[in-house]
Amino acid sequence: MNKYLASASLLFASVLLSDGPTLAQQGITDTEIVIGDVEPLTGPPALLGVAASIGHKIAIAEANNAGGINGRKIKYVLEDDGYVTARTIQGVKKVIEVDKAFAMLGISGSGQSIAVMPVLEKAGIPTVIDVAPVKFLWEPPRKNVFVVGQSYEEGIIHLVKYLADKNPNKKWGLITQDDDYGITVRDGFDSVVKEKKLKVVYSGNYKKGQQDFSSDMLQLKDSGAEVFLAGGIIAENIAMMKELEKLNVKPVTGIFWPGRVEPVLKLMGPAGDGIYAVDYVEPFAGEAGKAFLEKAKPLVSEAEFKGINRYTMSGYAAAKVLISAIERCGKQPTWACTISELEKTKNVETGVMAPISFGPGVRFSNQKLQIIRADFSTLSFKPVN
Amino acid sequence: MQYFTQLVISGLAIGAIYGLIAMGFAVIYKSTGLVNFAQGEMTMIVAYIAWTISTTVSGNLLVVTIAAIIAAVVLGLVVERLVMRPMLGEPLFATVMVTIGLAVILRSSINFIWDAYPHGLDVGFGRDIVRVGTIGVRTGQIAVIATLLVLLAAIWAFFRYSKFGVAMRAVAADDRTALLMGISAPRVHAAAWAASSVIAGIAGVFFAISYDLSPAMFQLGLKAFPATILGGLDAVLGSGVGGLLIGITENLAGGYFGSGMKEVAGFLMIIVVLMIRPFGIFGDRDIERV
Repeated sequence: MNKYLASASLLFASVLLSDGPTLAQQGITDTEIVIGDVEPLTGPPALLGVAASIGHKIAIAEANNAGGINGRKIKYVLEDDGYVTARTIQGVKKVIEVDKAFAMLGISGSGQSIAVMPVLEKAGIPTVIDVAPVKFLWEPPRKNVFVVGQSYEEGIIHLVKYLADKNPNKKWGLITQDDDYGITVRDGFDSVVKEKKLKVVYSGNYKKGQQDFSSDMLQLKDSGAEVFLAGGIIAENIAMMKELEKLNVKPVTGIFWPGRVEPVLKLMGPAGDGIYAVDYVEPFAGEAGKAFLEKAKPLVSEAEFKGINRYTMSGYAAAKVLISAIERCGKQPTWACTISELEKTKNVETGVMAPISFGPGVRFSNQKLQIIRADFSTLSFKPVN
Repeated sequence: MQYFTQLVISGLAIGAIYGLIAMGFAVIYKSTGLVNFAQGEMTMIVAYIAWTISTTVSGNLLVVTIAAIIAAVVLGLVVERLVMRPMLGEPLFATVMVTIGLAVILRSSINFIWDAYPHGLDVGFGRDIVRVGTIGVRTGQIAVIATLLVLLAAIWAFFRYSKFGVAMRAVAADDRTALLMGISAPRVHAAAWAASSVIAGIAGVFFAISYDLSPAMFQLGLKAFPATILGGLDAVLGSGVGGLLIGITENLAGGYFGSGMKEVAGFLMIIVVLMIRPFGIFGDRDIERV
């Protein structure tokens, strides 16, 4: 009896530990492989969630048109969380447990990704995060979670250093949102203030959802700030620039990539001309941006094409990296193999950002940043040499 | 002094928007005894409809205005007939919850019907800046202040002199007695919803002209609600004035004490005022709170 139990235990353990074809992996049939995603598809943050999901769809359509992953077509399962953390957790659980996704992309905003991390870790599902890169997602590195992008803090540091070098001995103003996003922006800014000994004459903090910035911008004007870091996201930055135009002042202004979408320039009007931004994805006005749009056009609907913005590029890059890793696992991909192949990702070209690499214990792609500047006449952002 | 004046003018401009939406709250409350928690969302929907008209039919100011008013009337009537009328006679709490549900549906519909991008409502008016010395104000902001003042006068005259206005007051005071007097309460309710939708819609359109149009616009309702509490939930004119007071207070607090105080100032003002006058500055003493 003991001999029988020992043999049975050994057999069970070998099945558990093996990555071989004996272990059926969820989300895979002979003809299909399921990739899941949870994004804000409703409410104001849908601007990023919808765009990111379009990026995923473009990469998936591209792969499916080329025959799928080793003959299996990719099925994309997308859930809406409305930017509500509880719904993100619920959505991710549903995608993993009910839809039986093989891998995940996304996922929603920074707070939502952080909150859902224990679920992802416990499930062990290969995941590539692309929407809101924040340090907590890769420090400490999680075995199955990879992040494509650059940290908010690094982005702000890069932008502020550039503006500080270009505008020495000027007076600075800053306004941030009263949430984790705003804190990250402020932390990045403060680190450069110390290093470059910047003279900050205005520092404001607005409540999320604020729509009227008349008193804030009047304070900024009154402070005599000559360089301004507008820490809003989309509508906030538009309102700030229009207020400054009304007050007849035009400080050198920098914005961050979450608000770096082309329609913003149209709404800012001439007030937005010349504002600086930082990003790790290519601007649409450049050759790479134009080539991406050309590629995307036949792969998405007309409505989806209109919804393309910078988040589409980051979503596309992440999906490309994931698909490529699954593909390298051959005919019988497993979670362990996909994670191992993701880790081996080295200089993968996506055409929309610098080549992407991970490594042993490295779960963050640490994308190269570039400064871009708004051109109102063409309603586009162009790289600054 | 210029700093103070600029703060007051900007406060009046945003306060006029709050005031118009607050008047919408009060019109419904005065006629039906109900607080419509979807007021901000109705403001947003009318503004989006106006934007659609301006981009697909005509960008002419008159065309957009007339079409937006018609759309607002239809929206108000549809909401009243399909959503609110079936709730007649039901507990107040349930009816209020229905307006909250309506708010969520209208809010979500923006992404389904339109998109999450911000848009500008361009009707060839409202964007220009008028400068007096160092003080600047957009023509759209001047127009919304003027519109609020005209509406205040018009609504005062309507409730005081028109037959239907008196009927609305009668229904608000005692709907059973009003019914015995031959006044149709459902008709009054429908008119109130339509009027409220139009007034709120005007606010939405002016906001979209002066600022922009985005799915976050419904939050104007959250700012306007304190204005109507301040002015008096049953006081249409008082709610309009309440909006102006909130707008100015917010801006002065933000300008002199920093951005953090901007959001708090209006609510501090409400707390103080309600301690002294629990029914609002212009409200009736026997108001029932919900």
